[in-house]
Amino acid sequence: MEIDYGQINFKCGIEIHQQLDTHKLFCSCPSFIRDDKPDIVIKRILRASAGESGEVDAAALHEVKKEKQFVYQAYSDTTCLVELDEEPPHDVNKEALKITLQVALMLNARIVDKICFMRKTVVDGSNTAGFQRTALVAADGFIETSKGKVRIDTICLEEEAAKIVKRSEKEDIYNLSRLGIPLVEIATAPDIKDPEHCMETAKKIGMILRSTNRVKRGLGTIRQDVNLSVKNKARVEIKGFQDLRNMPRIIENEARRHLKLIEKGEELKKEVRKANKDLSTSFMRPMPGSARMYPETDIRMIRPDASKIKIPELITDKSERLEKDFSLNKDLADLITKSNKTEFFIKLAEKYKNIKPLFIADSLVNSGKEIKRRYGKEIDISEHIEEVLDYLNKGNISKKAVFEILVEKAQGKKVDYQKYSLMSDEEIKKILREIIEKNKGAPFNALMGQAMARLRGKADGKKIVEMLKKEIS
Amino acid sequence: MQAKTGDNVIVDTKDKEVKGILMPVPESEGEVVILKLESGYNIGIDKKDVKEIKLVKSYSEKKQKTAEIKQNKKLPTVSILHTGGTIASKVDYKTGGVIAKFSPGEIIGMFPELTKIANIKSRKIASMQSEMMRFPHYNIMAKEIEKEIKSGTDGIIITHGTDTMHYSSAALRFILEDLSVPVILVGSQRSSDRGSSDAGLNLISACYFIANSDFADVAICMHENLSDESCLILPALKTRKMHTSRRDAFRPINTTPVARVNFNDKNISFMKKGYSKKDNKKLKLKLFNEKIKVGLIKTHTNMFAEEFLAYKNFDGLVVEGTGLGHLPNEETDEYTKENKKIFDSLKEMIKNGLITVMSSQTIYGRIQMNVYTPMRELQEIGVLGHLSDMTPETTFIKLAWLLSNYKKKEVKGLITKNLKGEISERIEDKTFLI
Repeated sequence: MEIDYGQINFKCGIEIHQQLDTHKLFCSCPSFIRDDKPDIVIKRILRASAGESGEVDAAALHEVKKEKQFVYQAYSDTTCLVELDEEPPHDVNKEALKITLQVALMLNARIVDKICFMRKTVVDGSNTAGFQRTALVAADGFIETSKGKVRIDTICLEEEAAKIVKRSEKEDIYNLSRLGIPLVEIATAPDIKDPEHCMETAKKIGMILRSTNRVKRGLGTIRQDVNLSVKNKARVEIKGFQDLRNMPRIIENEARRHLKLIEKGEELKKEVRKANKDLSTSFMRPMPGSARMYPETDIRMIRPDASKIKIPELITDKSERLEKDFSLNKDLADLITKSNKTEFFIKLAEKYKNIKPLFIADSLVNSGKEIKRRYGKEIDISEHIEEVLDYLNKGNISKKAVFEILVEKAQGKKVDYQKYSLMSDEEIKKILREIIEKNKGAPFNALMGQAMARLRGKADGKKIVEMLKKEIS
Repeated sequence: MQAKTGDNVIVDTKDKEVKGILMPVPESEGEVVILKLESGYNIGIDKKDVKEIKLVKSYSEKKQKTAEIKQNKKLPTVSILHTGGTIASKVDYKTGGVIAKFSPGEIIGMFPELTKIANIKSRKIASMQSEMMRFPHYNIMAKEIEKEIKSGTDGIIITHGTDTMHYSSAALRFILEDLSVPVILVGSQRSSDRGSSDAGLNLISACYFIANSDFADVAICMHENLSDESCLILPALKTRKMHTSRRDAFRPINTTPVARVNFNDKNISFMKKGYSKKDNKKLKLKLFNEKIKVGLIKTHTNMFAEEFLAYKNFDGLVVEGTGLGHLPNEETDEYTKENKKIFDSLKEMIKNGLITVMSSQTIYGRIQMNVYTPMRELQEIGVLGHLSDMTPETTFIKLAWLLSNYKKKEVKGLITKNLKGEISERIEDKTFLI
């Protein structure tokens, strides 16, 4: 039975974490995530007792808690003393702050007068300091969706945590290459109406983030946490969405789980759950209490200056522009913008007037994939396409040859353009006559087949058809 | 009623209302109101935009319970004397301010392991960052140590800011004569508010070392390396802070550490053979004369005589020279006339009674003032320090202490004589950059 989400008082908000494509937030190390053999390994203990609630717990006096050891792996060439918690943070990465301000403006949010970095206590060892540095940069924004406004409560800039390598009872091993990568965290209000709407919201925010052109791409570089409750019962948080397309089903299944438990009269727990492959969710850990935060005194407060911030064109707007200006279909336009080749495409389309923009777009975004699929070779199309299109634009080679030349380049061969040069009309005529002579009485299609076999890559197909027709008549 | 720090308020500005807790504003941040929002985040709001701050609820301070501590007759007693620095402070998570924690209950609340090692006495004797210290503070520390020893303690821990901890350890080593129990200085390079603070390991290792060894001297106890696995017990007179921020910043100079305390298996291994041991000696104090003026000058290229002349009314001067013990004292061409002035000024000041001692800015190695002629000329005019391998800081403390307790004539002889282990007669190969 379909769920009426209005009826069950479905409350849902989403939190999006996106890694930025800059150096680290508080040091000059590259944001380079790796898992090769580390040359630095250190062991640390995080003391739970240091800096607890201020009240001295009498029981703690007699019970010395067994502390877990944390092993940190690091690299001399891409991590430094800051990640090792051996040097105070440098000044905030200006580039990362600028991108965050851009995002804030694109989300129609109000930027705070002064940004205060905070220390958010983290005890699981994922941060060598025992806290994560995070700051509220803007608040009270919104995005428009097909089902109305979704408010954006907060936009924060924070440090990415270290990556877990292995957990065991005695010690947890973390790799520090990820620690300190700038993350933008965007939290919506619980304005999401239903599971489909949640995916739409996630996609829209993701698109806005990518429009800055300065966010990291690929697996694990953006993460969505969904918070939901039904019938005003306990709230759960779902982490670990691998594929946004599955998000609606996972949320729907989770809502059904809630409804079933409520119907049975069982208690729902506030907890963090993991999205599973079978689109169900499973218990991960109890919901943490509100995190303790106190000021990061090593970093001075920052007065953000948004006056010179340029708002980038949205990817969706760019796509529309490509469709309109170059008569591309929507799929192709989206592919161009998504792969971040808009400017390059426009340059090529304007330079090569004799080639249809559609052909340029298709070659730009699809030929690489096609070569990978058919020949198993990687090629950076952007690097080679201009040279090949140059020949095509001058009429020296056929459209068909473009792909074949790119294949040769992918295979590391030296391209002999002579081989692909088009034949003159006289030469074509000569060959066609030969074929007609040898195959007297053969049907047109058979002749055409032979002609194509002989002339592939040497003459344009359309031209061959026309000339063949002429020769026969 | 005016809202105060810690109060729940609503800040009303021309275009918004923001709810939160009013936070203290650091002076350096200027005209802003800092609010802690419900989410825990702080934000700054420009004061000029604030129309009104409405009080919602006044701040009520939580009464802190302090645990009672039971004495265990089988365990030794360790006295912790606090002078300040980050080690014995913690953050007030509400306001973000740092509050010092000194009572035994509070210390044990932070480091409960201590109760398994010793009966802890704890009190505050100063509350300062170590770079603010002056000679009277060395005397205060020494007198408080004397008090604790008279009360029968088995050892003393001084918590201390790290910046000048090696000055204090040297000062105490000279002041405290016939010490019968260990005095260990402990600091931390990461503040105690963070789970990763080195304070706990340093303090617990020091306490364990006091309780489980026969060592009875002044030393520093800090991290051996970047891991929370072991601490070094470092010699009071031959240790230096060699890094601005690393946990293992304190290193022995021209010598080895005294001992290593392994945290995991609680094993103490001595690395030095001879050390003073616990006994019934009676403590005597040879305090600093608080009026003594000693300077410390670092030489450099393109120096001016004026730099030296600033010390003309001082009792003593330590020169942190270059290499084996050089300073720019020769006119070698038309550009070096100022050097001659430096030499003449120094000569005059020494003649007028300024005790001047050479030490090297290389930190490691020994002064040897016979190797080159200009240094011999320095010796001629009375610059001391030949064959000393003391760090500039230890030289400074020793000179001030000698001037406090001996006649000038005696000082000249004693400054290069090894009194308490401040000079290594042999420098072993494996003591460089460790």
